[in-house]
Amino acid sequence: MELIVRHQEREEELHLERTDSGYRIVLGELTYEVDVARASDTIHSLLIDGEQHEVSVRRRKEGLYRVTSAAGISEVEIMDPLTHLARTAHGEDKGGAQHVTAYMPGRVVEILVAEGDEVEAGQGIVVLEAMKMKNEIQTESTGVVKKLLVEKDQAVEGGDPLFEIG
Amino acid sequence: MPGANRERHWRGSRRWHPEREQVSSPSAMPETAASRKIRKVLVANRGEIAVRVLRGCRELGIRGAVIYSDADRAALPVRLADEAHRIGPAPSNESYLRAEAIVDLAVEIGADAIHPGYGFLAENADFARYAAERGVIFIGPPPSAIAAMGSKIESRRMMIEAGVPVVPGGRDPLADAEAAVAAAAEITYPVMLKASAGGGGKGMRMVRSAEELPAAFREARSEAAASFGDDTVYVEKLVEQPRHVEIQILGDHHGNVVSLGERECSLQRRHQKVIEEAPSPVVDADLRRRMGEAAVQAARAVGYTNAGTVEFLLDPAGEFYFLEMNTRLQVEHPVTELVTGIDLVFAQIRIAEGEPLGEEFLRLEPRGHAIEVRLYAEDPFNRFVPSPGRIEHLRLPEGPGVRNDSGVTSGAEIPIYYDPMVAKLIVWGHDRPHAIARLQRALSELQIEGIRTTAPLFTQILRDEDFRAGRLDNGMLDRKLASGEWAAPGPPGGGQTRNIDGSGLADLPLIAAAVAHAERQEVVTSQPAVAGGQRGHWKMVARREALGGRPWS
Repeated sequence: MELIVRHQEREEELHLERTDSGYRIVLGELTYEVDVARASDTIHSLLIDGEQHEVSVRRRKEGLYRVTSAAGISEVEIMDPLTHLARTAHGEDKGGAQHVTAYMPGRVVEILVAEGDEVEAGQGIVVLEAMKMKNEIQTESTGVVKKLLVEKDQAVEGGDPLFEIG
Repeated sequence: MPGANRERHWRGSRRWHPEREQVSSPSAMPETAASRKIRKVLVANRGEIAVRVLRGCRELGIRGAVIYSDADRAALPVRLADEAHRIGPAPSNESYLRAEAIVDLAVEIGADAIHPGYGFLAENADFARYAAERGVIFIGPPPSAIAAMGSKIESRRMMIEAGVPVVPGGRDPLADAEAAVAAAAEITYPVMLKASAGGGGKGMRMVRSAEELPAAFREARSEAAASFGDDTVYVEKLVEQPRHVEIQILGDHHGNVVSLGERECSLQRRHQKVIEEAPSPVVDADLRRRMGEAAVQAARAVGYTNAGTVEFLLDPAGEFYFLEMNTRLQVEHPVTELVTGIDLVFAQIRIAEGEPLGEEFLRLEPRGHAIEVRLYAEDPFNRFVPSPGRIEHLRLPEGPGVRNDSGVTSGAEIPIYYDPMVAKLIVWGHDRPHAIARLQRALSELQIEGIRTTAPLFTQILRDEDFRAGRLDNGMLDRKLASGEWAAPGPPGGGQTRNIDGSGLADLPLIAAAVAHAERQEVVTSQPAVAGGQRGHWKMVARREALGGRPWS
């Protein structure tokens, strides 16, 4: 199986084939022999070249996995080469409105701009509060506030869209 | 503290023990205002400290009741309590901060005493006073002692009078920026501006020269006003490279005050403690005795009873200065419990009942070494942004020398309304290196899934040479975080290596996700749907998804 994997800035081809007790994985210049046993719905014991690694893998949506290990939490995207090709051909990252999402759950305690306002990169747009901490959500691009998607006192989940800058 | 304590007069020598009723006679109970047997305690708190206090109650055969907000109905303290009572909606000011409602509830349910834990109303003198008025024992110091120590300027004045060493500085509130400049010139730079009503680093500014002072003064003042509703600011000498070393004390209602030794809490992020240990790597028996004596003096000066902590700054030359007194049980109390063998919650309850401190509190010397790490629901790799949410899976470490003081279990929702600390992991070892090794081992067993925590940061700190050598100071954590030495963003994106300095495999997330993806593909594509009794994998997956459960992937 050929796959494209993405983690943070990194994007790589990954080749994977079935073995008796798991998989042989070729990633970049390295080959890993991985013995797989599942301890629960999400917990895996991976023996990678004999070394034990305990990880939890949870599928967030099609092709997006959250991996929790001793080193922390990683979001990994996996797609087959065709999907990848189709996406890059369509240029999904092409200009247009920038959708800004909440990077943490919380409550909207303040909205600092109005729709139609011109804003500069780094300017605060919305203030979120969680766990006694206020966090200002800023825009990364300069432009016009096209749409405010939340109201004051509204509770949001991590990942919820907050506003659009065009 | 042996020398410090030996001269004290002890009225009782009974050991505090759950079975003490069998060995003590009622006549031994002194007649004081507080002298009363406690049969039911209302715990006015949430999270791990509520669990901790409830455990103490159950061990003593005391009925434990707890309050809960709507966000905490299914939380661990409620499930471990004998009784639980709703106190209001999720926001703290409508629930855990409703002082009168909580006291009224205690009266209504027949609780003899209220344990405030820490935070919320623990250092609210009015709350303690109101409890006393309604005939409920407040498990803590008298309201007057809370009030005296609650004001930094007032407590400083009292400490100077009592002969407790304090950081040089002006004792008076500063009227304006000019007064601040004049006061700073007298005590020489660098200086620290502080809010009188302050705490948690709010309203504090370090100033190195007269030019910087006016702006810093205005900032400190407005921050103090915004945070505490009181813009009173004072100035004191900045002790450079200080350590935070604090003394645990206990005082009974018979004039006895004892020191239980020190805790070192120098690892702080923005003035919030992150790792604590006992004993301090730099405090020897002589310094421990002197600091213990100073702490006892501080407590006596305000007529202190019950458990309290006197915080000091310790400079590299071994001089120490009174910082403040926390008039409650501390978050980090378990490290003292582990090295002294004293159960501080037992002690608090027995003192509140009017019992005198027994002989087991004399000549306490720390045995072994204990370290605590505070698990915060914050992302150490992303500016420590809060990470509330659902704990999908939790495996707490076990085994020799490990203690978990946790307020959560698998499946728990971490609400957005409260403090982000969810659990504490504490270890005991026969010496400091052993304790560090145990903590590393314990952290390697810890699994928390669903929320981000500060656990990966601790793994880095415990490997650090300065930490391992005990070279600590209050600015160390912020410095090393700012320089990127600790908590650099996760496994590096560029370059492929089998190991990143021993902490694991950089490719591990990619491998794990690929394995999960492949397994899912196999399950979905290779299994025909089986009708009838025998369920195929495919069907199992489909069924679980339909039920809204979380299929493994």
